[in-house]
Amino acid sequence: MTPLLEMRDVRGGYGDADILQDVSLNVAAGEIVAIVGPNGAGKSTAMKAIFGLLNIRGGSITIEGRDITGLKPNQIVQAGVCYVPQVDNIFREMTVHENLEMGAFLRSGDLSSAFERVYGLFPDLRERRRTLAGNLSGGQRQMVAMGRALMLDPKVLLLDEPTAGLSPRYMEQIFQICRDVRDAGVALLLVEQHAKQALAFCNRGYVLASGSNRHEGTGAELLADREVAEMFLGG
Amino acid sequence: MDFLEFVNFYIVPGLVLGSIYALGAVGITLVFAILRYAHLAHGDMATLGAFVAFAAVTLAGVPLYAALPIAMVATALVAVGIDRLFYDYLRERPRIVTVMASLGVALMVRSVVQVIWGVDAETYTRGIVRPENWWGIRLKDREIATVLTMIGLVLCLQLFLMKTKWGKAMRAMSDNPNLALLSGVDNAKVVFVTWMIVGGLCAAAGFFLGLNTELKSMMGWQMLLPMFAAAILGGVGRIEGAVIGGLVVGVVEEVSVMFLPSEYKAATAFAILLVMLIVRPTGLLRGKVL
Ligand SMILES: Nc1ncnc2c1ncn2[C@@H]1O[C@H](COP(=O)(O)OP(=O)(O)OP(=O)(O)O)[C@@H](O)[C@H]1O
Ligand SMILES: [Mg+2]
Repeated sequence: MTPLLEMRDVRGGYGDADILQDVSLNVAAGEIVAIVGPNGAGKSTAMKAIFGLLNIRGGSITIEGRDITGLKPNQIVQAGVCYVPQVDNIFREMTVHENLEMGAFLRSGDLSSAFERVYGLFPDLRERRRTLAGNLSGGQRQMVAMGRALMLDPKVLLLDEPTAGLSPRYMEQIFQICRDVRDAGVALLLVEQHAKQALAFCNRGYVLASGSNRHEGTGAELLADREVAEMFLGG
Repeated sequence: MDFLEFVNFYIVPGLVLGSIYALGAVGITLVFAILRYAHLAHGDMATLGAFVAFAAVTLAGVPLYAALPIAMVATALVAVGIDRLFYDYLRERPRIVTVMASLGVALMVRSVVQVIWGVDAETYTRGIVRPENWWGIRLKDREIATVLTMIGLVLCLQLFLMKTKWGKAMRAMSDNPNLALLSGVDNAKVVFVTWMIVGGLCAAAGFFLGLNTELKSMMGWQMLLPMFAAAILGGVGRIEGAVIGGLVVGVVEEVSVMFLPSEYKAATAFAILLVMLIVRPTGLLRGKVL
């Protein structure tokens, strides 16, 4: 079976220097896949590579077997991949509802079922639909960001540190939403700073360090791996 | 001097001039917000619009106010053309390159106006217009038309930005350009729509300046500074701010004549700009920090 999303030996960076050195990973339908690793490991960069925001000098990225290497972001959105960046991931001066609308920019016609789906996942947002997104709390902003990316009903959702800076209660809520999203048929690839919690709840994980693959396996395998534990999980 | 006289001699002309500045400042603030550079050809594009309307009136015999939409469409197309010819190539370069290029465009547009229409002052209509008396306040029809058209155009623009798909895309691009691109917004289309609107507004500013004063090839260039002062006073990226800023600069310029020799009128806008940049660079309505 071909994986939904596959990065194979991707090499590239922002300028001339290669930040990613032959990174490979894949996501299958119905999976939550986590990328963990130390700061500066290239986790965000790997996501940007998928989304066409990097100069790629080797390897390939495919979605359902179709090569999307080097396509423009709007073409990648159309191919069924949506992305929530680590920072600046909402339109602050637009309302919650307008943020979601922008997420569905490429779709024309009736959006009411898409709005219903997203408001169903994030009931908090329905109450605050007329609020400017910039006036929300951190956790609510993260929900807006995820909601925006879910408006197009993507095949794969890329989340870069969805729980950064959130309280444990919110973190648990975001993880639960991730499971709901997966159960609704969207595969997830997420970068997580909270490695332990992420590995405990994901299906599979990758450990990245200095721009290359270090370990991979199911969440449980990685948690049990001594080397991984010493490197990233604080023993 | 009594209150009515003060209104008639200073406030009314100030609001009329301010409405003209507002039309220009709204365009400047849109360019700042979406394209993120200072557009120095703004004034000369207004001059061009004014003279296109002049040609429509004098050569084609178009009724005066019907010349306004003609000039707006023509100038909008010129603005799009200028963007394609010059600014588009510089999009990836540092912004200052585009700012300097827009200065060159300003000189080019002005030269074209001078070659076609000469350097003498012209007017749309001949003869003296008597103001009508509204409970002691004297208003000319063209003054009323200036203020009402400005309000009408700005309301239309606001409706467009709040309600339509491409209006929202423009706001998104101004708010968070990267995320707008990630959402699939086509930057080239947003730039096109922006220049259509900005060009149209430029032409309206030039038309009303020509209508209330006279048409000269330097008319637009001379209002560049007050238009920028108005945009920054209102807060960069804020449409309502640009309108308020325009009205304030217009009124302050007119009122300044009470205290200062009228040659210093232009310096008032400069003073406002300077004070704002020092005291509150985000403007009255908290615009973007540049
Ligand atoms: N826009 C950029 N331009 C140039 N270099 C960058 C850029 N963004 C990141 N880098 C560099 O790329 C490397 C990897 O950064 P990246 O953001 O992918 O790390 P990360 O694993 O996401 O870290 P964190 O956990 O802190 O988010 C770092 O050395 C960083 O300095
Ligand atoms: Mg990161």
